[in-house]
Amino acid sequence: MITRLLALRCVLHEEENMSLELKNIAKSFSNTASSAKETLKDISLTVNDGEFVCIVGPSGCGKSTLLNIVAGLDAPTAGEFFVNGKKVTGPGADRVMMFQEHALYPWLNVIDNVRFGMKLAGVAKEEQNRRAEKYLKMVKLWEFRSYRIHEISGGMKQRTALARALCLNSPILLMDEPFSALDKQTTNKLRSDLEQIWEETQKTVLFVTHSVEEAVFLADRVVVLSDNPGCIKEIFDISLPRPRQIDSAEFLSTRHQILSCVEKEVEKFAKEEYDQ
Amino acid sequence: MQKKNMTSENTSQRNSRPVTASEKNAVENRLTGKGTAWKILTCICFYILLVLLWQAIYTLGTGTFGWWKSYAMPSPTGVVKSLEKLIANGTLWQAVIYSLRRVLIGFVIALLTGTVLGLLISASAFLNRCLKPLMNGLQSLPSVCWVPFAILWFGLDESAVLFVVVIGSTFSVALAIENAIAQVPPIHKRAAATMGANPMQMYTQVVFPAALPGFLAGLRQSWSFAWRALMSGEVMSAYVGLGYSLMAGRDMADINQVMAVMLVIIVIGILIDRCVFSSLERRIQKSRGL
Repeated sequence: MITRLLALRCVLHEEENMSLELKNIAKSFSNTASSAKETLKDISLTVNDGEFVCIVGPSGCGKSTLLNIVAGLDAPTAGEFFVNGKKVTGPGADRVMMFQEHALYPWLNVIDNVRFGMKLAGVAKEEQNRRAEKYLKMVKLWEFRSYRIHEISGGMKQRTALARALCLNSPILLMDEPFSALDKQTTNKLRSDLEQIWEETQKTVLFVTHSVEEAVFLADRVVVLSDNPGCIKEIFDISLPRPRQIDSAEFLSTRHQILSCVEKEVEKFAKEEYDQ
Repeated sequence: MQKKNMTSENTSQRNSRPVTASEKNAVENRLTGKGTAWKILTCICFYILLVLLWQAIYTLGTGTFGWWKSYAMPSPTGVVKSLEKLIANGTLWQAVIYSLRRVLIGFVIALLTGTVLGLLISASAFLNRCLKPLMNGLQSLPSVCWVPFAILWFGLDESAVLFVVVIGSTFSVALAIENAIAQVPPIHKRAAATMGANPMQMYTQVVFPAALPGFLAGLRQSWSFAWRALMSGEVMSAYVGLGYSLMAGRDMADINQVMAVMLVIIVIGILIDRCVFSSLERRIQKSRGL
């Protein structure tokens, strides 16, 4: 009976559109020949189609490393991961990544940066223009399309990067603390913009952040990583209705719950450092 | 109405439109209280003083104190007279044209060979490890050292001089390319990789454009290497050209002509650096907000 159920789950799983499945991912960095620092250990996680998952954890716990592995930019030391049931090893346009730095090209203007990924993929010119217009309007930058990158503000740069990522129509969006270098007001604005865009586009999002508030605001599920080595400590389901009010009682209590979970990790790490 | 939708950061951005270079200059001038004309004027005064000092040293050194024989020390007036003579009999223009043609052809060849070499040592870690130290060594080798080879292999003609120019600047070009590519921020490549760039696209769409400003900065140095190599070649084995005119001055024991030709070589070097490389570099940097 159980095996039949499991089999059924597998079938269902394959039918799911663009899931992301990590199996026992581990990553060690070798500093010297003898010692290797284990950054990630035994991470198994499934992100369902259209789901918004946030990864939080103390700084240095390997959140970004995990995302880089999923993006295919770094190879895991052990384990494997599957996109839509297919095993993946390298980077690909089905999982476009947004970085903490805007990573835009200074020799191109805003719209050419947005068209960049489509140009690589060989999308037809008219289609490129159509999508660039659609997404630049979505991130409210259409009027700034001919500006150079150094002429726009930090928040506008990240919105350009978001438009560039959305243009590729990739089903999975990987985001590595994309708003952490921005000021508070801009961050809040971009957060709600992102939530709106996510609801419109139905993408699968894996989002790394150090801000628990951001995670609770955006995510369907929040994954808390523990430190040294980084492994999944706890997963919280967030079922608050959207758009979420960050000053509502439910929001604050959820946030507090997750925050204390993260803070325990930070304390544990600090204690270990102290004891050494 | 559109503006209402803008976030606060947008509106502030709209008010502070990009600052142009002339505006920046104006602000700087207001801060220092001095204009561009003033800066140029002071610079000219400095050089006038320098020439006057030179004349004074010449007059005192050859006359009053007798430090030098008058044929061993050029004077400003002598150099001007020498220049007038060289211009009047047409040798100066001929020399300049020949030299510029040689350095242009040589530099273009060096650009091609240097680019190929530079791309090779960028692409292969093995070649980089093996060849880069050697190329650094060859770059620091004075190009005059290649003259014996040039004469043996090509004889006393045009191609010998070209060989010296090419070999004198190729390694500099190669190292400029290699260095510029190595300096490309990894984030540019990582972003392109997640957007699905293949290796070819990575080079043509990301690495080359990103490396361009660094490469141009390196080329400025390569140009000065080429120009110097040309003089080594021409001094040794040319029948016409600036290097030859310099040696002709020596052969005629005309120290003023030597000095005059040296000045022309310096001025051409500066002009090409300023008008070609420096302005190109500045334009590209400005367009990227550097």
